[in-house]
Parts: sequence; structure tokens; C-alpha cells
Amino acid sequence: MSAIAQFSPSRARVHATADPAWVRWGVTFLGVGFAAAFLALPLGVVFQEAFRHGAGGFLAPLRDTSTRSAIGLTLLVAAIVVPVNTIGGLAAAWATCRFRFPGRRLLLALIEMPLWVSPVVGGLLFMLLFGRQGWFGAWLIAHDVSIVFAAPGVVLATLFVTFPFVARCVIPQMQAQGFAEEEAAMTLGASAWRVFWKVTLPKVKWGMTYGIILCNARSMGEFGAVSVVSGYIRGQTITMPLHVEIRYNEYQTTAAFAVASLLCLLALATLLGKTWSERRLARAFRAGAEAIPAEARS
Amino acid sequence: MRFRRPRRALPGFELALAATLLWAGVLVALPFLGLAGKMATVTWEQVWASIADPRVVASYRISFGLALVAALLDVLFGGMLAWALVRYHFPGKRLVDALVDLPFALPTAVAGLALTALYAPTGLLGKPLNDLFGIQVAYTPLGVLVALVFVGFPFTVRAVQPVLADVSADLEEAAACLGATRGYVFRRVVLPALFPALLTGGALAFGRAVGEFGSVVFISGNLPFRTEITPLLIIVKLEQFDYAGAASIGSLMILVSLAILLAVRAIEERQRRRLGLGEGI
Amino acid sequence: MSIAVRSVSKNFGRFAALHDVSLEVAEGELLALLGPSGSGKTTLLRVMAGLEFPDDARGRVFFHGRDVTDQPAYQRRAGFVFQHYALFPNMTVAQNVAFGLDARPRRHRPPKAEIRARVEHLLGVVQLEGLGARFPAQLSGGQRQRVALARALAIEPSVLLLDEPFGALDAKVRKELRQWIRRFHDRTRITSVFVTHDQEEAFEIADRVVILDKGGIQQIGTAREVRGGPSTPFVTEFLGLGENI
Repeated sequence: MSAIAQFSPSRARVHATADPAWVRWGVTFLGVGFAAAFLALPLGVVFQEAFRHGAGGFLAPLRDTSTRSAIGLTLLVAAIVVPVNTIGGLAAAWATCRFRFPGRRLLLALIEMPLWVSPVVGGLLFMLLFGRQGWFGAWLIAHDVSIVFAAPGVVLATLFVTFPFVARCVIPQMQAQGFAEEEAAMTLGASAWRVFWKVTLPKVKWGMTYGIILCNARSMGEFGAVSVVSGYIRGQTITMPLHVEIRYNEYQTTAAFAVASLLCLLALATLLGKTWSERRLARAFRAGAEAIPAEARS
Repeated sequence: MRFRRPRRALPGFELALAATLLWAGVLVALPFLGLAGKMATVTWEQVWASIADPRVVASYRISFGLALVAALLDVLFGGMLAWALVRYHFPGKRLVDALVDLPFALPTAVAGLALTALYAPTGLLGKPLNDLFGIQVAYTPLGVLVALVFVGFPFTVRAVQPVLADVSADLEEAAACLGATRGYVFRRVVLPALFPALLTGGALAFGRAVGEFGSVVFISGNLPFRTEITPLLIIVKLEQFDYAGAASIGSLMILVSLAILLAVRAIEERQRRRLGLGEGI
Repeated sequence: MSIAVRSVSKNFGRFAALHDVSLEVAEGELLALLGPSGSGKTTLLRVMAGLEFPDDARGRVFFHGRDVTDQPAYQRRAGFVFQHYALFPNMTVAQNVAFGLDARPRRHRPPKAEIRARVEHLLGVVQLEGLGARFPAQLSGGQRQRVALARALAIEPSVLLLDEPFGALDAKVRKELRQWIRRFHDRTRITSVFVTHDQEEAFEIADRVVILDKGGIQQIGTAREVRGGPSTPFVTEFLGLGENI
């Protein structure tokens, strides 16, 4: 082995695409360090603060009625928002991917809009419609109906901010996959509903799952838009994030962090689900791309 | 109106379009129309009085100025992290990759609470920063910056990653064969390829930071003229039942968002055309 | 001897891409590396270019008698043409061709006017006059491949290495470009090595053909030599010679 022992590749002998070690270390250290300081640490702090007074201190605030009502409202909001935006997103994907019609691009831009405006502006929009001085304010008062400063307002504001998620995830996938299978199924005499359930939906299910996960996370965690329209009525319009804020402002730090840690768990579950469905989605895209012959390379 | 359809029309167009229009109409178009209607009833003087109010103007410096700084930091560090994630192997890489999306998944109020606890003068990072360097983060503009960097971070990483993975090794090898050193290859070949993605990611991070509310209000302390952000002033106006003022400031923010959106679209479109991607699809 | 490769082995994980390969390319020769997928022909070409390095110290690469084994790609001045052109999409054709000259350190860099003149000249050589301001996306496959060639020639390479240079082109363009390369080589006499899996292509334009399989050289010779006396059963089968008997 003397030949190999003697063999010490000179420093110059580097691959054309390889970076020098100091660049590799520097970039990795700075990038990962930044992520750790900004992402991992805050997550850790939440749990640390939540358990500052032990498991008892953690559990006690979760048992009180206002916490339970906040959890209930948050689940209720998600239970309404996610299905509505999923069905709407699927319909929008079907309409815009399969058909060309005047105003299609405008519709696509409209679907994206809520992503681009501040959640506070989102809340403001509903105040302008349903608030006391809003367009429908007088009518609502006359008929004794509350939308803002009541649960419906919370639901509407959340619907607005989570509006684009499913549509944005499904549209690219539906676009990429074409619709030869649907046409084949139609020629075999399948009804439109059957085609949708048996052919279209399975094809986009990972994009849809991905969108639903994001939509759900945002609907449970929305703060800005909801805090505008909520009016902070205890037991009625307080969602979990608002409850966190109230407890924090009341200097009940442990209670605030205990509820916050539940939301952290939701975030972690979201990340897990997201990573998982992303992988399935990538696989689905690759399967679609396999029709293109792989490059021959010796 | 005549609709151009694929040769063999698939069913369900009318139903799908009707459902979409109902959904998008009630939830998005109607609220925006409400705003437009409100603005139509407000005079220019009122609008100007609202958006040029010194306290509001001071908030632009925080919301827009710090959002810009945050976006630049996100581009720099997000670009580095994307590079490390795509090009290098290191332990825990997949964990870091998954963690990048945390700001998307974590409710903003929780993020704000956590960052405040972390950077408060008694916090894990705030205490050493305060004791050693005399830097106070929480309840200062610096704290707002921290929150804005946090919410924008995933945008730049996620914008750069796929593009970087797509930069073909052939290009870098070709440049090396032509005598270019690694640094030159980076500057002339890799960076130009990444530039649109960095810009898109930066614009998205900026757009998000401008409108951010939940994570900022906890750490900023909301001191008028110093750490107050523009969205907070919309809420203040609403609490004073000044709907016209709130609508004016909201409209301004929407216009800025739209400008960013259009700029991003234009950059993407230009790049697509130049690289000849437009014809293929 | 223009290019010499001695005892080069290269493994990728457990896959042996090259096993103790030695080869000499004569001055001014046009040599073809021919073999099926996975035979190691592209790896051998990449070792010559400095894009891969031999696994052990016995493996060496010489250009014109000079040991270049330890030199990275950017110091070797080997003109390399990629199968998929690898043109820089963000640069015009002229900027692509000028890249190798612009990349030189300041004291070796020709003045701007000279670079421009050299680019014009090279575009003329590859018959792409007047297309300097276009972007690669606006060119056809055959034109792109000629830009890639001009770009490689701009650095006045000591050798020219071409990886499946016709692989991504359609049949007609392929035939034309192949003839053109042969005539071009007759004019310039730059020592050239090209990789192909198409034997017709190899025998039609190369002075000598190297047949590889499973990381080893099976036979080296002119078209007549190889076809007249295949040295191994693999060569007989690969060239389809058995069927004619």
C-alpha cells in the first residue's frame, strides 16, 4: 500500500463543482445557526415557559372554562373553514385548469389576493361590510343579527385569510397532470360525478392534502384578522391565539404559554404532515414526468 | 359570451364556475368591493389626513423600512441555508429542512410570544445581549426586525432551493473547463441563475413582513412613533370608530401589496421568456 | 503524444466505472470512445478534462507529456463540449463564447476589443455570424452545439473533448454536424476525443475508435482494423458482426 500512502492529493485537486472547505463550513454554520437561533430556540422557549411551574402549572390553565371555550371555538372555526375552502379550491381548480373563459386570469389573481394583504386589512374588510358603520351595519342592527364581534365574523375573517391555500396547492398539480384519464373515463360511460370522485380527486389528492394541512394550521392559528373582528367577548369570540394574548396581557405567563404550547404541537404536527405530503406530492409529480424518456448517459 | 373549450368538453364547467364565483365572490370580491365603496365616500382631504398623520407616517418607517431590512437579511441567510441544504450533507439536514417552514405553521401570536420571551431583557438571548453588549431587543425597533425576519425566512429558502437544485452541474463544470475559478463561476454563472429566485423570495418576505401583525405586537411594545407598525394603526383607527381612516390606510397597504405582487410577476415573466421556458409549456 | 492516460481506475461507490485503463491519443488525432451505457466512456473523458480524478496514485493523465493529474479542471485548458450544450442561459451567444477569456485573471486577459474580435471570428468559424446578440434559448439544437464548440475553442484549448456531441440532436442535423466536425478537424488538427454510443458515427468520422465495456478497453483501432478483426466476443456482438457471418 506504499503507493497509496504516498498519495496525497494536492489541494488543487478539487472537483469543479466542489466548494472549498471553509466555504462549506462557513455557509453551513451560518445558515443552520441562523435557523437554529430563529426557529428552533423560540419553539423550545414556549415549552420551557409552559412547564416552568411543573406539569401541574401546565395543566391547570388548560382545565379552566375560558381555555376550553377557546379550544372549542378554534376547532369549530377550523371545522367550517377547512371544508368550505377545500370545496371552493377544488371547484376553482377544476374550472380554471380544464376550461378557458374570459376573466380566468382575473379569477386566478383574485384567489391569490388574500395571501398578499395584511391579515389586519382582511379583518378591516369585514368590519367595513358588517361593522356598525359598515355597508350592512344598519340592516344587521335592525334585524338584530351580529356578524362582527360574534362567531360568524371570526369564521368569515378566517375564511378570508385561509382562502387560497387549497386552490394554490391543487391548481399546479391538476395543470401538470392533464386530463386524458378523465376523457377516457367519460368515453367509457362514467358519469361526471363518478369521474370526479374516481379519477380526478385521486390524482390531486396529495396536493389537496398539502393544502388542507396549511389551511388548517392557519385557520387555527390566525391572529391578526380575527383580533380585528372578534371584539374579545369572553366565552364567545375568543379563539386560542386570542386567548394566549389575553392571558399574556393579564400577566398569567404560564397560562399563556401552556395554551401556546398546544398551538406549537399543532405547528409541529403540521410540519410533519407537510413534509410527508410534500414527499408524496413530489413522487406523484415524478410519476407524471416519467413519460419523458430519461436521458441516455454512459 | 362564448367559452373556448377543449375539443371534447369535460362536464361540470357551469357547476364548478358557479361554485367558484360564489365562493370567491362572497369571501374575497365582496369585501374588496366594500372597501372600494367606502373609499368612494371619503374625500381626498380625509384620506390625506389619515395617511399623512405623523404617527401613521412614523409607522411606515417601521413597517416598510424594517420589512425591507428583514427581507435583505432573509435573502442573505435564507440563501446560505438553501445552499447548504441543496449542496452539502450534514447531520440533521432533514430536520433543519422541515424546520424551515415553522414560521408558516406556527401561529403568529405564539411566534410573537416566544420571540418576546427569548429576547426580553431577562430572556435566554436577551439577557446576554443586554449584559454583554448593552443591546436591548424586545420593545425596540430591533425586536420588530427580529419578528419580521422570522416570518419571512421560509419564503427565501423555499424560493431558492428548487432553483438551486435545478442549476445543472454541467454549467458549473463547463465554466470550470473554460478556466473560471470557483469564485468566478459563482459570480457569473450561479448567482445570475439564482438572482430571480432571490428577488422573488425577498419580495415575498417583504410583502409578508409589511402586513405582519401577530408576531410583532408582542415584541414591539407598540410605542407610538417608535415601534408602532402600520397594521396596528388600522386597529387603533377602528377602535376610535374612524372607519374612513382605517380604510384609507388599508387601501394604501393593499396598493403596496399589489405593486409587490405585480413586480414579482413581471420578474418571473421576464426570466421565463429569456430562458425560453415560455414556449415549452 | 498529445493525451496519455495511465492506469486510471475510478469507482463510484461500488460501481467500477473504469478499471486500470491506459490510452494514448496521437497529436492531431480525432479519436472516438465507443461503448454501451455504463461502459465508462464518459467517465474516461471526464478524467481527461479534470472533472473526475483517478481513485489511486497510479492513475495519471498527461497532456503533451506534462503531468496534469493534480490540476483541477480550470487549470487544464481542455476544451469540453457537453452533450446538452451547457450554455449559460443568462448570457448572450457572444458572452458565452467570450466567457473563457473574460474569466482569465486581469494580467492574462486580452483587451476588450481583442475579445470582441476573437468572438466574431469564432462565430464565423462555426457559421453563426450575426447571432452574437441572441440568447441560447433562441437557437436551434444544432446552433447551440456550435456555440458550445466556439466557446470551447475560444480558450485555445490544447485538446478538445466532446461528450456525446450529437446525442441531443435529431437525425438529420446530427449527420450534417458530424460531417462538419470532421471537416473542421481536418482544418484545425486539434487533438480531439469524442464519446458516442453510435458505432456508425464513430467509424464514419474518427481516425481511431476505442471500444469500451464495463470500465475496460476492449479494442483500439481504425474502422477497418476493428471491423476486420474484432478482438473479443463483446466487440463482435456489440458491433453486430456475428450476424453477418
